[in-house]
Amino acid sequence: MGDLSHAYEEVPAKWEKWAGRGLTSAIVADEVEPTCHPLGPNNKFVIAPGWVSGTPAAPSSGRTSFGGKSPLTGTIKESNSGGLSSQKIAKLGLAAIILEGMPKDDKWYTLVINKDGVSFESADDLLGKGMYEVDEILWKKYPNEPAVIGIGQVGESKLSNAGVSVNDPENKPGRYAGRGGLGAVMGARGVKAIVVDDTDGPGVDIADMELFKTGRKKLTDAITSHDLTKPTGGLNSFGTNVLMNIINEAGGLPTRAFSAGQFEGASKISGEMVAEMVENRKAGMTGHGCHPGCIIKCSNIYPDENGKELVSCVEYETAWALGANCGIDDLDYVAKMTRECNDLGLDTIEAGNTVAMVMEGGALEFGDKEGALGLFEEIRQMTPLGRILGQGVEATAKAFGVHRIPTVKGQSMPAYEPRAIKGIGVTYATSTMGADHTAGYTIAPEIAGVGGKVDPLSDEGKAELSLTFQAATAFVDSTGYCLFIAFPILDIPDGWAGMAESVAGVTGMAITGDDVIPIGKEVLKIERDFNTRAGFTAMHDRPPEFMRYEELPPHNVVWTIKDEVLDEVYSWVNGK
Amino acid sequence: MTSIHITLYGDIAACGGGKYIANLDLDVPEGAVVDTLLQEIGLDPDERGYLFINAVLHDAPGLYASREISLNDGDHIGIFSIRHMWPYQYRDGIRMSAALKTAMAEHGGMRNTYRTKD
Repeated sequence: MGDLSHAYEEVPAKWEKWAGRGLTSAIVADEVEPTCHPLGPNNKFVIAPGWVSGTPAAPSSGRTSFGGKSPLTGTIKESNSGGLSSQKIAKLGLAAIILEGMPKDDKWYTLVINKDGVSFESADDLLGKGMYEVDEILWKKYPNEPAVIGIGQVGESKLSNAGVSVNDPENKPGRYAGRGGLGAVMGARGVKAIVVDDTDGPGVDIADMELFKTGRKKLTDAITSHDLTKPTGGLNSFGTNVLMNIINEAGGLPTRAFSAGQFEGASKISGEMVAEMVENRKAGMTGHGCHPGCIIKCSNIYPDENGKELVSCVEYETAWALGANCGIDDLDYVAKMTRECNDLGLDTIEAGNTVAMVMEGGALEFGDKEGALGLFEEIRQMTPLGRILGQGVEATAKAFGVHRIPTVKGQSMPAYEPRAIKGIGVTYATSTMGADHTAGYTIAPEIAGVGGKVDPLSDEGKAELSLTFQAATAFVDSTGYCLFIAFPILDIPDGWAGMAESVAGVTGMAITGDDVIPIGKEVLKIERDFNTRAGFTAMHDRPPEFMRYEELPPHNVVWTIKDEVLDEVYSWVNGK
Repeated sequence: MTSIHITLYGDIAACGGGKYIANLDLDVPEGAVVDTLLQEIGLDPDERGYLFINAVLHDAPGLYASREISLNDGDHIGIFSIRHMWPYQYRDGIRMSAALKTAMAEHGGMRNTYRTKD
């Protein structure tokens, strides 16, 4: 961005095998100085579709990976999103887009990428605007309903909780690579938006079409036959928020800033209630797809009391963060705050935890929904308080004198209490990304090679399980497939094989199901090495202190996993 | 009689007069077990998914570990439809009954559903 130039380069041999998360992490690890300031000139912003993105009818394969050094955590960061961008970038024949440098003229730009090349256009018409308006303006300005990757006012201000927005098929900004502040990294390059038009692009080369088709069919059959992912299944009916009542019944729903494991108002903000509202208000929808070709369709469009679309979507982490975690049981207010996050460009998990820190600090009462909503106006106006809030949980906790801070490596915890759900706590603590609920998705133990060695019902073996799950997730994050394919392929071995075969078919690499974990571990090693060079040690792989001594009701449990277990997870990388 | 509170989630809420969520206060005979309760509300055991008693997991979709569990005065029972998911990574370490642990040891502890294969 320093001289407003662009270049197309062949993918170097060292990165040829990678796509998605594997590619963003490989590029960041090779090209970004780990000790650099994330907002300075030496960081880079990397975008990469997955292996199968843009191929014909690969099911639920519209995830785009975004990477860079995180201003929130100081670690390497990959955050991925649905929406329109992945398939369009892939169909232009691009393996990745790398933004580097900073404009010398201090101006803001919209990058327009199509089959003819890249143009740098003034973003003066977009500055100060939220993502709803930005998406609308850019669809009017450019033909062919392009993908719009953008940042809201929070990214423009380079605050650490700035997410990266991608428009959905209805051109709404509900799809976010939210975690880790990569919107600020994009903003630091002077880029407000990237418009991607794949019209007449070359498309994606497929090395072995028959193998690809075979794998695609197996995976599609698994998704469409499993109770969780099939049409009218759990995700399709109630979205990810199908978990709210379950986690609450289990006593693992972080409530009022992680002070309890059950919230008395959980059912009022659950996926079941979203479905009831949609039916009662005769507006909005459940079973909404966040990108073309999704066959799971776990998104929703939530209507207001007048039947007008309020936001898409109210998903589990969002409803929890802005609801139970703040003691708020009013779904309409949760939806209003979600819309604020989508417009301003905030990660909802970090934003909800931030509001909870204000409440924990005594500036608002838990449950004060008007007060909570008002905090987003502070951010919109970029008041001094708003700027602190936009920096996320740790900055806000310090500003309000809070010591109970639910973060790991600077990133706040999602909607699963690690004192009650200890396995997820191991992943929160050790993930290369900071506390992250998508870092360790379960795959079939027998396939992962841990089936005969680990008792999943015991505290023993949690390190090996977490590593295996983190590796599997790193692989899936590299495919372009939605992580939710993990649910059916866990129970249906043919689906697992199909995922690997579809990747092998596209890439020509000899990948089978047996290669998934080793390849995933390669990605983790790249990321862990970067973090080590950035100054992170095993001592950063720890849960928050208060969870070690504060009992969580209703089970009155504390964090009991030993530090040595946490240290085992990545001992294979650096021996620490 | 034993007084219990039940919440039904998903389409099985129809058994309690709800759309997708139903709350019921019920009196059941002394010595009643979970099977008695399901009969009382007209819920087919094959349509029963995850089942909790007082925040302890007692059953999962496709397993039948809770049928003979006795109900006590003041118990809260949460019952989900078979469509409700709960991936292992989000339940790894939660409290569960001894009977369910035994069933999962036999059928596998990590599966999302136990209805699709043995």
